[in-house]
Amino acid sequence: MTLTTSRPSAAGAKKAVPSRRRRGRKWPLTVLLGLVSVLTVSPFLVMLVVALTPPRKPTVPNQWPDTLTIDNLLGTLSASGFVGWTVNSLIYAGVSVVIILLTASMAGYAFAKKRFPGRDMMMWAFLATVMVPFQALLIPLFVLVSDLDGVDTFWGMIVPTLANSQAVFLMRQFIRDLPSELFEAAKVDGASEWRIYWQLVVPLTKPILATLGVFVFLWHWNDFLWPLVVAQSDEVRTLTVGLTTLKGEEYPLAMVMASAAVSVVPCLVVFALLQRYLVNSIAMTGLK
Amino acid sequence: MRHRWRDPVTGLLFVLPMLVLFAVFRFVPALGAAGMSLTDYQISGEWTFTGVDNYARLFDDPIFMSSLRVTLVYVAIYVPLTVLVALGTALLLNSVIFMRGLFRGMLFLPYVTSFIFAGVIWKWVYDFDGLINGLLAHLDLGPIGFLDDTALVLPSLALVQVWKGFGYSMLILLAGLKSIPSSYLEAARVDGASAWQRFRSIVLPLLRPALFFVLVIETIGGFQTFDMIYVMTGGGPSRASYNLVYALYDQGFKFFNLGYAATIGIVLFVLVFVVSMIQRRFLDRSTT
Repeated sequence: MTLTTSRPSAAGAKKAVPSRRRRGRKWPLTVLLGLVSVLTVSPFLVMLVVALTPPRKPTVPNQWPDTLTIDNLLGTLSASGFVGWTVNSLIYAGVSVVIILLTASMAGYAFAKKRFPGRDMMMWAFLATVMVPFQALLIPLFVLVSDLDGVDTFWGMIVPTLANSQAVFLMRQFIRDLPSELFEAAKVDGASEWRIYWQLVVPLTKPILATLGVFVFLWHWNDFLWPLVVAQSDEVRTLTVGLTTLKGEEYPLAMVMASAAVSVVPCLVVFALLQRYLVNSIAMTGLK
Repeated sequence: MRHRWRDPVTGLLFVLPMLVLFAVFRFVPALGAAGMSLTDYQISGEWTFTGVDNYARLFDDPIFMSSLRVTLVYVAIYVPLTVLVALGTALLLNSVIFMRGLFRGMLFLPYVTSFIFAGVIWKWVYDFDGLINGLLAHLDLGPIGFLDDTALVLPSLALVQVWKGFGYSMLILLAGLKSIPSSYLEAARVDGASAWQRFRSIVLPLLRPALFFVLVIETIGGFQTFDMIYVMTGGGPSRASYNLVYALYDQGFKFFNLGYAATIGIVLFVLVFVVSMIQRRFLDRSTT
């Protein structure tokens, strides 16, 4: 902290002792923060221990397991459905990321740098949809998709989730701050609009595209209600929905925990790689 | 000259994909929801116009009224709890320097997981054979039926949502705290203001916009809770955790009363809309 540098030097000399005392007083706060942090991640750790315990053997919290094994984790991969659900989740999230990044950046570019009739009204209408909770649209959306024969298909599950106003708004805000002269100059040089988009807009928005891509991936990977109602067969069922079907005799606790552990790996990888990025973008944009 | 003519066309073309997605999968369903709420729409697609019958039925439906009460009680428990935890951790992170990045990451970690993951883990944490009751048994205490007691189930569920989500609000509040000029706090300190006085008279007023944003976001999130309840309690015991979204889901996909389910969706929309309007009025007043 730079608190001390802004202080007048005379006072600074006098304050040296209280300042050290103040720093000394920090350690209880540090310990408290450490405790809260450990408590927050403890469910992950306990889950991992249970997932590594042989099925139906005593484990935490009653006693520390005698042996640890990765058989459960491997077992989930051979369990019926699990790999299929994982692939389906990857398709659901992956395809959505690609299409949303493309369509949202195109729309964001037009909203930020183009003049066309109805622009402000359209932007306003896009933003207004934020106020409508998805659950309020669930029933009509389901009827619509089922009328289009989209139930139990990938497109029926994916396409309705692509209308994402947060993504459009974010891209528009970011592109609006880019200097217009860049685009003007390219146009004067005879570049086509499509080429300006691919060779200027996309490269210049790479950081925000990466952030947005991570969020869209997490939204879809973690999504539940829409896949629950629209993807009823194993062919399209996603991992979150599949996890809720794992109960009963053939699924002892250790296997449930192992499945949960495997399902969270992509989230943790994304988190580990991009933590600083995610944290900053939430602080700056309020992306949720 | 040429590009001035081309601009409106290219602008529209760039917006077009997203515009079509929004028109078909947001605006049409929004109108559909309003329309369906005035009918007895069946899963077969047959319907007759019933006017405001569905809305009148809401008041005579004890299950709906109970789900509304559960939703409001849940929000009343969840929102203060999560805002307090987010504010507390944000304040700690703002004053501790030692390993701050690590602690911030640990506290944020649950946010990247799904509510289904959180539900699966915490269902076991709360179970009679689970983590907490196991630990209590070592102390000859318990067992406590966290999810089996009608009085405990909502606080228990709220705690899971706090765990899963407070990291987001924490980051918003942390950004708000960082934007408070340290010279204000330093001046107050020199004038002999205690830590509590500084928090009360400087930090809290300046943090108000961030705090209000968090309050609104979390309130809306509390109204929309579903995934976690679905996997942890199924709405039980005796509908003690059966909320609006659950009622909507059951009416739509268990009893196939699509018209009535759409009506519950409208109620949910109105709740969220009212909260958003309060936010807007507040923000207008605080900026003038």
